Amino acid sequence: MPKRPATGQPSIRVGVDTGGTFTDCVTIEGGEVRITKVFSTPDDPARGIVDGVLRLIGDTQAERRTATEDGNTKPRTPNPELHIMHGTTVGTNALLERKGARVALVTTKGFEDLIELGRQNRPGLYDLNVERQPPLVPPRLRFGVAERTGADARVLQKPSLAELKALRARLRKSGAESLALCFLFSYANPSNERAVARALAELNLPLSVSHEILPEFREYERLSTVVVNAYLAPHLGAYIARLTAAFKSNPPIGDERRAVCLSIMQSNGGITTADRAAREPVRTILSGPAAGVVASAHLAASLGLDRVISFDMGGTSTDVSLIDGALRTTRETTLAGLPVAVPVLDVDSVGAGGGSLARFDAGGALRVGPESSGAMPGPICYGRGGTRPTVTDAQLVLGRLDADHFLGGSFRLDYDAARAAFDRFLRDEARRFSRRLLTKSAIDLARGIVAVANATMERALRVISVARGHDPRDFSLVCYGGAGGLHAADLARSLDLKQVIVPPNPGAFSALGVLRSDVVRDVSQSVLMPVPASAADGRRFQRDIETRFARLERVARVELRNQGFRGAAEIARSLDMRYRGQSYELNVPFTAEFRLSFQKEHERAYGHAQPERALEIVSLRVRLTIKTPEAAQGNARQSDARTRRFRPSSPAPLASRLAGFETGLVPTRFYDREQLRPGSSFSGPAVVFEYSSTTVVPPDYMCRVDGVGNLILWGRS
Amino acid sequence: MSRIDPAELEIFKNLFHAVAEEMGAALRRSAFSPNIKERRDYSCAVFDGRGRVVAMGDHMPVHLGSMPMSVAAAVGALGLGPGDIAMLNDPYAGGTHLPDITLVMPVFSGGARPLFYVANRAHHADVGGARPASMGLSEEIYQEGFRIPPVLVARDGKIERDVMALLLANVRTPVEREGDLQAQIAACRLGARRLLEIEARYGGRRVALYLDALQAYAERLMRAALARIPNGRYSAEDFMDDDGFSPEPVRLRVTIEIRGERALVDFAGTAPACRGSINAVLAITASAVFYVFRCLLGEDVPACAGLMAPIELRAPLGTVVNAQAAAAVAAGNVETSQRIVDVLLRALAHALPDRIPAASSGTMNNLSFGSIDPRTGQPFAYYETIAGGMGARPVADGLDAVHTHMTNSLNTPIEALETAYPVRVRRYAVRRGSGGRGRFRGGDGVIREIEFLSRVQGSILSDRRARGPYGLAGGQPGSPGRNLMLLPTDTGRLRSSRIASKASFETEAGAVLRIESPGGGGWGQIRGQGAGGQG
Repeated sequence: MPKRPATGQPSIRVGVDTGGTFTDCVTIEGGEVRITKVFSTPDDPARGIVDGVLRLIGDTQAERRTATEDGNTKPRTPNPELHIMHGTTVGTNALLERKGARVALVTTKGFEDLIELGRQNRPGLYDLNVERQPPLVPPRLRFGVAERTGADARVLQKPSLAELKALRARLRKSGAESLALCFLFSYANPSNERAVARALAELNLPLSVSHEILPEFREYERLSTVVVNAYLAPHLGAYIARLTAAFKSNPPIGDERRAVCLSIMQSNGGITTADRAAREPVRTILSGPAAGVVASAHLAASLGLDRVISFDMGGTSTDVSLIDGALRTTRETTLAGLPVAVPVLDVDSVGAGGGSLARFDAGGALRVGPESSGAMPGPICYGRGGTRPTVTDAQLVLGRLDADHFLGGSFRLDYDAARAAFDRFLRDEARRFSRRLLTKSAIDLARGIVAVANATMERALRVISVARGHDPRDFSLVCYGGAGGLHAADLARSLDLKQVIVPPNPGAFSALGVLRSDVVRDVSQSVLMPVPASAADGRRFQRDIETRFARLERVARVELRNQGFRGAAEIARSLDMRYRGQSYELNVPFTAEFRLSFQKEHERAYGHAQPERALEIVSLRVRLTIKTPEAAQGNARQSDARTRRFRPSSPAPLASRLAGFETGLVPTRFYDREQLRPGSSFSGPAVVFEYSSTTVVPPDYMCRVDGVGNLILWGRS
Repeated sequence: MSRIDPAELEIFKNLFHAVAEEMGAALRRSAFSPNIKERRDYSCAVFDGRGRVVAMGDHMPVHLGSMPMSVAAAVGALGLGPGDIAMLNDPYAGGTHLPDITLVMPVFSGGARPLFYVANRAHHADVGGARPASMGLSEEIYQEGFRIPPVLVARDGKIERDVMALLLANVRTPVEREGDLQAQIAACRLGARRLLEIEARYGGRRVALYLDALQAYAERLMRAALARIPNGRYSAEDFMDDDGFSPEPVRLRVTIEIRGERALVDFAGTAPACRGSINAVLAITASAVFYVFRCLLGEDVPACAGLMAPIELRAPLGTVVNAQAAAAVAAGNVETSQRIVDVLLRALAHALPDRIPAASSGTMNNLSFGSIDPRTGQPFAYYETIAGGMGARPVADGLDAVHTHMTNSLNTPIEALETAYPVRVRRYAVRRGSGGRGRFRGGDGVIREIEFLSRVQGSILSDRRARGPYGLAGGQPGSPGRNLMLLPTDTGRLRSSRIASKASFETEAGAVLRIESPGGGGWGQIRGQGAGGQG
């Protein structure tokens, strides 16, 4: 039974985000954001986390002891509880590297191979050497049970006791470390799955059951989801146990036994208890990217903006997500070739990052990515053995990176090496194309590489905005992660976005997102009900739906309470609907006008509506949310600051150098972000550098620093 | 030429491709028949103002080379104006087989001539004719469904109700058809809107410049690929099992002549068109040639018309690869198209022995059925294709249970299928051991058993039932497929009987149809002795 994680007594709450290079720990104390950055320990991420949290808490405690009354915080209890909220990539990495558990699959007899058949298509159309990822469960670990439920929810055949006994024996001998259970039509009637789950309980193995994890139709996607869950369960369980033990043996606050409570960020943008994450790890596979999206939503709210696009450009890929008043989720994610159908924040990822490699293809077009130089050797200018031009090298050749202040100057970028490599690359390529190559100079090449990388990212931004019927002019781009600031203004111009916002400490932005995440529990039920046309049937229908929603909510509330979450839960009811006969649903809020909402949404999404057609409800969805205290706290502070007046000032640049833009090489001012004060404003061309990131202000852009230190970039025209 | 920037070329290529993909997503999500929404049996494409294909979504390869002929036919017959949308399915006027209904819409930007065309093609589950789902045994096209020459389905932005009514009166499931066509129309309009946005942003002259540049770029890529194939004449032949009426195998023969950066593909020696429906119109043969040569390119290239510029195609009139009216064609698009690929690859294997795979299953196992659903009293018609084994590659085993070459349609989820139609799937499995042995093993086929819960009229159009897909370099052929009907007997057991590769049938509730699809051919000799080469 977990300790009380939320509300009750005052607690210290720490958001933790583990990345490939750094682990960021963040806490908010009286409206003040505190950050500690330590190196990640990929062999055992728990070490880095404990280290970071101890340092952060150590500092905070020291300050608390010396602080006098400051008016912003309530009187403190002597033994505050420590609550760690964690965005983790442990599950994601185990899946990508195929290092999960040995899973045995129990499924309907005759369908043991479904996990291998998938949807019978191939991932590449014109690739004679195309490969598919092998399934997570090999044939000898697939076990069929003679049982069947029909489409009408009738049980046609119950599993026999004799068969279940034999099955237990076979499973015991199989060496399985985790079990996945998925029967056909279990979303319509779970009784056969329940019976078998009971029979398998005595094996004492982690058991993932399809109707519990995803009671929704489309058997392959449900099966894949439940198998991924089983594959990750032992791994994530062990990690969480290790992390908990590490905090027990290194008590972070004094030497007293303190309640340390651990929560995990889910892919849907909400947090859940460590226990639940260990049981349903499939809900955490996009834990990392989700944190940044949540942070973007909070930042947007604090600035009074409803519409933003989050933009996180890293070394090998770029993640983007659209926030239109609310976070958007999807249930059509594929990770490492495996569909995962639980709700995840709708984050689109493209293979363009700072390390993406450039080349000319056989037809003479310049291509950038998806191949990447990775962490090793990295770009040429890192001087660790990289020889092929990357996007980062192109930015350096264009003079937009400050070679001396990269990562706080701990690391010098090698301009000469990058420049020489670009010239060499052009010479070699010109020979290959018998001098017909049109890109002549290193600067041209660098500009081309940046343009193609931008085009790839622009495509991702279009897919989530224009392609879904949103007008980009209404949106601001929230830019965080290391490389994004170099490209954000160019992208904003191409898409006609309103402005770019670069928050302070863009590197620790995701950890802040974890800290500000609400407790979220999504529950759903496939129902497949026709929406009646007549008013009398309509009333009965309405009552029926209300009853079903109430039942779903009761279950979810009890769960949250049992997990120790006490606060008042906000409830959002919604319907997945479609015209009868369609296969894809649109989600609309459950209000008296849900029919009309659906017609409008269909028109918006697909360009046509057919109001005369019969409607059906596929699933009921309920989201329970318990608000986190930091969300409100941080925002109040920010909006105060926003309205405070500052004297406009023009800061003094640290240096002025030539940098390449569309118009050619132009004198460009370089600013140190540390030295910019709220109210500062200046026009491009300019470059703002800071510890883990660089922001480019092109010649046609302006930049100002708002009251809380965000950089705001907007076009001058 | 000197004004073409390599970075912008890449950008335009992606812009147009994204439009085609977006049209496809909108079509799938708002369509009604499982064959479109679940199985994704559709394609969307963007054409320039001269009707040359510029981009095509990653949908169905069999539509690749044939969509431009739809645009040409629609433009030639109708002279499309702003807001008009043409509809057609006639294989002898720009179509392939009747269930594939294609819409073509011009995109104007003020001028008198269109700047672009957009088109999409979707395989509809029923277009009338003798058999439910319009994919049965047939001897002439009139039995295969309602034939639509290029006509306007929308004029000046308004749907032509008369045309729609005429079509809907001739199909078994009109409500579903109308919904699918609405989705197709909306997808066209969406594509047109996106293209106009591109034009507004980059300007008409720049767009026109890069439309031409993309064609030249694609042509350069293909020329570079052809130049890497040794010069020479490479011939091969292969056979269809039968045409569904006579047991005689049907010969396909091709000679590919590579000369520098050019190729000549000649089907002289191929059998005349048949009585049954395995006849392919030229559009299908062009698609298969397009597909095979595109596979030879190492790059992820745009499906531009320019790719085909260095390739000349000769298919003698009246043969099974260039059928003339009014031959039946239902299976030409789905079965013969696969054999055309097989014979082309077999010829190329002489030139590129270390790149070309052994034959894949070579059939789409087209299963269709329909009748009245006893649960609702409403008519229904359903169509699906079943995957098979992929041929082994010179570097790797073939994939198991996967769609290959000219199709990539998904399966219908069992939970969707049984909810929509009165059937029960009893088994869906990999057909172990059916892939041909060799140094690399051919992929295994599939076993699928469907129990009919009501009386139905059904059809199966399949091939590679008599001879398995060929192996290469000493590899064994894959196992041929089998079609079985399992009928309940008085004792409660099922009695099994073979049915032909191409057959229409009527059956009572309780009958179980079992399809076993072929495995892929093996590649290379097994090292040493015996069966050790598997796996």
